[in-house]
Amino acid sequence: MPSPSGGGDMRRLTSAPDRTVRALQWGIAAGTVLFIGAIILWITHLIRTAWRLGDVPSASIGISLVAIPVFLTVLGVGLYVFWGLLTDRSER
Amino acid sequence: MADPADTRDAALLAPIERTGRGFYWTVGLLSLLILWGAVAYWTQFDEGLGVTGLHQPVSWGFYVTNFVFFIGISHAGTLISAILRLSKAEWRRPITRMAEVITVMVLFIGAGQILVDLGRPDRMMNIIRYGRYQSPLLWDATSISAYLTASMIYLYIPMIPDIAILRDRVRKRKLLYSVLAMGWTGSEHQQKVLNRAIAIMAVLVIPIAVSVHTVVSFVFSMTLQPMWRSTIFGPYFVVGAIFSGIAALIVAMLVFRKAYGLHGYLKPIHFRYLGQLLLVMSLLWFYFTFAEYLTAYYGNEPEEMHVFWAKFSGPFWPFFWGMAVTNFVIPVLCLVRLGRHTIGKVLTASLSVTVGMWLERFIIVVPTLSNPRLPFGEGIYFPTWVEWGELAGSFALFALFFVLFTKLFPVISIWEIREGREVGLKEVEERLLTYLPETAEPRHAEPERGW
Repeated sequence: MPSPSGGGDMRRLTSAPDRTVRALQWGIAAGTVLFIGAIILWITHLIRTAWRLGDVPSASIGISLVAIPVFLTVLGVGLYVFWGLLTDRSER
Repeated sequence: MADPADTRDAALLAPIERTGRGFYWTVGLLSLLILWGAVAYWTQFDEGLGVTGLHQPVSWGFYVTNFVFFIGISHAGTLISAILRLSKAEWRRPITRMAEVITVMVLFIGAGQILVDLGRPDRMMNIIRYGRYQSPLLWDATSISAYLTASMIYLYIPMIPDIAILRDRVRKRKLLYSVLAMGWTGSEHQQKVLNRAIAIMAVLVIPIAVSVHTVVSFVFSMTLQPMWRSTIFGPYFVVGAIFSGIAALIVAMLVFRKAYGLHGYLKPIHFRYLGQLLLVMSLLWFYFTFAEYLTAYYGNEPEEMHVFWAKFSGPFWPFFWGMAVTNFVIPVLCLVRLGRHTIGKVLTASLSVTVGMWLERFIIVVPTLSNPRLPFGEGIYFPTWVEWGELAGSFALFALFFVLFTKLFPVISIWEIREGREVGLKEVEERLLTYLPETAEPRHAEPERGW
């Protein structure tokens, strides 16, 4: 994968204040966790409601057994990228 | 001194750096259509669903047709991009970004159709609070959420190196690009992380995409309605989705090729390959359609035959036969020989399929509801200006999202093009050698083993 800038002008890249940029980047990561976490919480809430009302909880559990791991995997990949890129100090 | 790679790919950055008059005209025209859609929705919101052509028994019309159509188109994207990436098809490089963008945009538009279809959108909260997982509608909501989330991440991750290029080269929107570039420097570690994440996501989105349209089909096939209850609806919908997705992708590619002068990137060979894929999908679509209608005809159940004949020779015949012509006859005639006028033929076929697949969704949704199993009278559906406005507004919104995206980010992946130039050729040669039998005498020939 070629380097974006050809390697020579990395200092020029960070004209915006570094700390603001870094805070916003971690903000995006946190937003991703919140978004996917909210969906997982919602699914859990529906299972709990079905369980409480005795409203065929098996259907809710069956669907969520597939859905929740998918969301967790997507979240895992997202966090892996954010963490991998943001904590990389090589060539910087 | 400017990096020679930069000047070579200047055409990809040009739409971001400069804005021509055509952009404003396009945005103006699309905004007018969106305004029509907004006025239509406001009228519906204010006066209720009575202003539409929806009634009993036809309670689903244009909105649900649009929903299935747009969710179908989303398969263009991620699915084609993921399959081409995983199979290391080198011709994918200028295509994947557009495919991924289409997916995310149309998923928003498609999911929005359900909100539009609700006479009381404020009741949406009831689904969040009291949704019941026995309903396939909620399976849909869950699977579309998963697909949208995965697609957004799958769009964003391969964009990171390109955003870093923009951060370095473009004078505008520095903060936006700096933030979204996630500190990309192109280090070995970062490349490893990115490649691994792209590979995982490419594998993950394929089953998610397939499951999404299967679940969309469940909304129909889990009922006992005539011509909906079908065991092949899942794969039938998935095939139709990929079919319409490829067509939409080709149309988008041709529009941006013309508008942004990307002839050097999107060459006739790309359209030839996509045209061949479209031809295969057309034949597959025909096979599924034939199987679907043949089993209904052979079963000869009275309620099913009522719907069947309503489509074949009843009030819905223009839509049914229009669908057959636009999804099968025209594409096959255009694509079976792509020797000359490749681009014109592929464009004609793609436009035809885009119309045809919308008709197909319509012909699935409405005739069954017009002729229900329960003893309702036969219902005929006539959409009003409100539904036409929503339809125009939805298509315009999709186009506007896409156009705005191309003003912010490269519509073709710059780093993938560069990678193709720098390492692609060598990699393909090495890979090719591993596929082929060794030409020289094998040094350690193993004794042949029988079964």
